[in-house]
This record gives sequence, C-alpha cells and structure tokens, in this order.
Amino acid sequence: MHVLTDYFQFWSEKYASILDYMTEHMIISFTVIIITVFVTVPLGIYMTKLKNEKIKGLMFHIANIFQTIPTIALLAIMIPILGIGFTPAVVALFLYSLLPLLRNTYAGMQSVDPEIIEAAKGMGFGTFERLFKIELPMALPYVMSGIRVTSVYIISWTTLAALIGAGGLGDLVLAGIGYNDKFMIFTGTILAIMIAIFLDFILGKMEKKLSKV
Amino acid sequence: MKFKKYIMAASVLMMMLVAGCGGGASADGGETFTAAAAKNTDSKINVQILKLLVEDQTKHEVDIVEDLPASPQIFAGIERDEFDFASLFSGEVYNNYFDDIEYTTNPEETLKKAQSRFGEKYDIKWYDPIGYINNYSIAVKKDFAKENQIETLTDLGEFADELTLGTDNAWIERDNDGYSGFQDTYAYQFADARGMDVALMYEGIANGELDVVTAYTVDPQLKEYDLTVMEDDKHFFPPYEASLVAQNSVIEEYPEVDKITESIVGTIDTEKMTDLIYEVDIEKRSVEEVAKAFLKDEGMLD
Repeated sequence: MHVLTDYFQFWSEKYASILDYMTEHMIISFTVIIITVFVTVPLGIYMTKLKNEKIKGLMFHIANIFQTIPTIALLAIMIPILGIGFTPAVVALFLYSLLPLLRNTYAGMQSVDPEIIEAAKGMGFGTFERLFKIELPMALPYVMSGIRVTSVYIISWTTLAALIGAGGLGDLVLAGIGYNDKFMIFTGTILAIMIAIFLDFILGKMEKKLSKV
Repeated sequence: MKFKKYIMAASVLMMMLVAGCGGGASADGGETFTAAAAKNTDSKINVQILKLLVEDQTKHEVDIVEDLPASPQIFAGIERDEFDFASLFSGEVYNNYFDDIEYTTNPEETLKKAQSRFGEKYDIKWYDPIGYINNYSIAVKKDFAKENQIETLTDLGEFADELTLGTDNAWIERDNDGYSGFQDTYAYQFADARGMDVALMYEGIANGELDVVTAYTVDPQLKEYDLTVMEDDKHFFPPYEASLVAQNSVIEEYPEVDKITESIVGTIDTEKMTDLIYEVDIEKRSVEEVAKAFLKDEGMLD
C-alpha cells in the first residue's frame, strides 16, 4: 500500500510535466505515422505497377538498409544534417517505418488475383476505378495490418527521441535512470504502452469499418 | 521422460552459469575483481588507473565494466555483489537515495555524508577524493558572455528568456540540484530546456542550436568549443568530488588492494583531469594508454 500512496503522490506532484512528455510523445509519433502512411502506401502501390524489376529491387534494398541501422546511430547521424530536436527525430523514425509498411502494401497489392483485374478491365473499368474499387479494398487487410504494426513500432521507438532533445516519454525514462527514480521509469514505460495499445485499438476499429464498405 | 531430461540439462547449464559468475580466479592464482564506471570519461580513467596498479603490484586482475548509464545502475550492481569497485561522486548522495538527507553545497560535509550514508547502506568503503571536482555548471559561448558582459549566473538571468538550454535528461527532473531548484535559487528560467545525450549537448551549442548547456566542470569540450562557465554566485550546485569505492568484504579479505586504492587518493586535480579527458575525448587516445602515461609520469608505474 505504501508504494501506491507514494505513486499517487508522485502523480500529483508531476502530472503537469508527465502530460507534457506524453503530448510531445504523441505529437512526434503521430506526425511520423501520418507522413509514413501518406508516403509509403502510394509508393507501395506505385511499385506494384512498376515494370522495371531492378528499380523495384533497389527501392526495397534502400528501405531495408534504413531498417538495419541501429536506432541510436541513425539519430546521431541526423544531428549534423538536421540539428537537434523534433525534425531529426521525425525524419529518422520515418526512415525506420518505411520498410514494414512498404512490404505490406506491396504484398497486399500483389495478392489481388490477376484474373479479377482482367475481368474488371473487360467490364470497362479504368485504371483508377480499378485501383479504388477493386485492388485497394482487396489489399486493405494487408495495408491496415502494416499500418498497425508500424504504428506500434513508431510509438516504442519514439522513446529514443529523448536522446536528441526532442522530448517525449523517453525523457521521463532516461531521467528516471539518471535520477534513481523508478516511478519515472515505470510511468514513462506504461504510458508509451498505453498509447500504443490505444492506437492499435482505434486502427482495428477503423479497419473493420473500412472493410465493410 | 523426455521432459525430465530437459529439466536435468537445463539445471546443469544453470549451475555452470552460476559457477561461472562468481569472482573467478585469475590466471596466476589471484582473484579477479570487477570495477564499474559510468559513461563519463573521468570515471573510466579512475577505474583504469586502479586496474593498472592492482595488476602491476599484485597477482589479482581487474575487469572493467564501463558505460553504465548512471550511478543508480552502479549501486544496483554493488548491491548484487557484481561490482567490487567503482568510481563515484560525493554529490550523488543528494540523488534521491535518501529521503531524509539535508542538502548543502559544502564540499566537506557532502563528502562526509556520502562516506557515512552510502558506506552504511551498501557496506562499502568510500575513499577520500581522488582530487578533482566535476560539478554541474552552466556554460555559454565565450563571445556571447563577452559581448553582454555576463560573468555570473545572476547576470545570465537578464537574457534567460531568449535562451535555449541543453542538458542531460535527468537534470530537468532532479529535485535538489536540478532545474526546479535552480529556478528557486536564481528566480528565472530559460525560454526552453531540452534534455538530450550529453555528447550531443556540445554539438548543439557548437552549431548554434543551443545557447546554454549544463556542462561538467572537467569537460575538455569547454575548451574545445570556446565556452565560458558562469560563476555560481549563489552557490547552488552541489560539489561532485570523485572517489573510488570498494566493497568492505573485498578489502577486508585483500588488504593489499585496499592499500593500492588508498594510494590513488589525492593524485589528480581538476586541471590534470581535464587534460587527461582531453587526450581521450578530443585526441581520441584510448583510456588505457592515457592512464598508463599518467601513472608513468607520476612514477607510480614503471
């Protein structure tokens, strides 16, 4: 019980700054998620239409390489180019999330049976009509699961942004490590988990709604 | 039956692991000790000096575990008997280890508190200081200080609402000697305060993204990047005097190692330590090389 009252006191003393950290965390991760979705999904679709296998392979290789750079290293590499804070954090996290979403979108589009496309063509569907009425709805489960997995990753990776002065819940965790405060570490961790679970839940609901249409 | 075999194999493996973890014997019959240091270069130099002297004068060996994030992880290792020696600072005594500690910036009293409180809590010997002081301090660019004739932290307050502070992640949240205490003492705050990795803090001020940093007083980067430390005119920052510490049980069993650790007391002053760190951080020489050269200069090693 003692721990609980202590923890309650911790919250009553720190809630303002905890909420600040959480807001920063959400702003960074949501910005990254939105940019990633709007860049990567169209890119993945475009790649399925691309005839040149070499360019396609190259693009996957590049996305792959970004994925393999250790997170802290990539953040550090960003500093001389983009400085400290929000921008380098967003760019670095975006580069990380490229691959999982790109692969899923690509696989989803590939999964559409070519015969269905042929049939649509025969029925007089134009390219864009085919894309939006047939291919995308069929690829949706893949794309959405890509978005969900990537979002959860991004929220967890955002804790590292604290190392380059971008703030977020990582600040709370690192402060707890340096200041010998387990409550800070615990709170930063649990809030990051909660944001991830919450977002995954919302995206799950969205997926259900979209797939009904 | 298969399952039973599995358990057997697993427990044998566990036993081997446990046996392997105990302070093993060194090659020529001595003991192997473990010494811990955090990320800061001065602590790494301290344990390296201890290692070189112990291995030179006795049959024992010292393994170094370095780059630990901060002091709480070192104390955790001491508590679990994973570390026999470590390099720590007196000011750590205010770092949220004791609820009832009285805060003072007097160096002697702080040292006494660290020696008695940590000594009691972790059953360790906290040696007298190595000789240098590594306080937190506030530094700005030299040009900026000159232009505006700022010398003290009180002077800096006039400009604070236009300045961005870069600091380590913990300072913002520390109670006594952190940002909130600073605001109480000096009655001003900076336009923005950002926590980050210490190494990046200096890059940030060098390329103009930060105006003020919380530097450590031995950091050679102060010299390298042309920074000026503001005088702490209201005596806010607590003293951080570095000491080696040792497990009581270890030095009771091996008094010769106690004697060696004792011989390191008072050997490096702040200026000397800044030079040594400069060699490592800026000239990129290895800690071992720098520590060896230092000991040879001092005549403590042949």
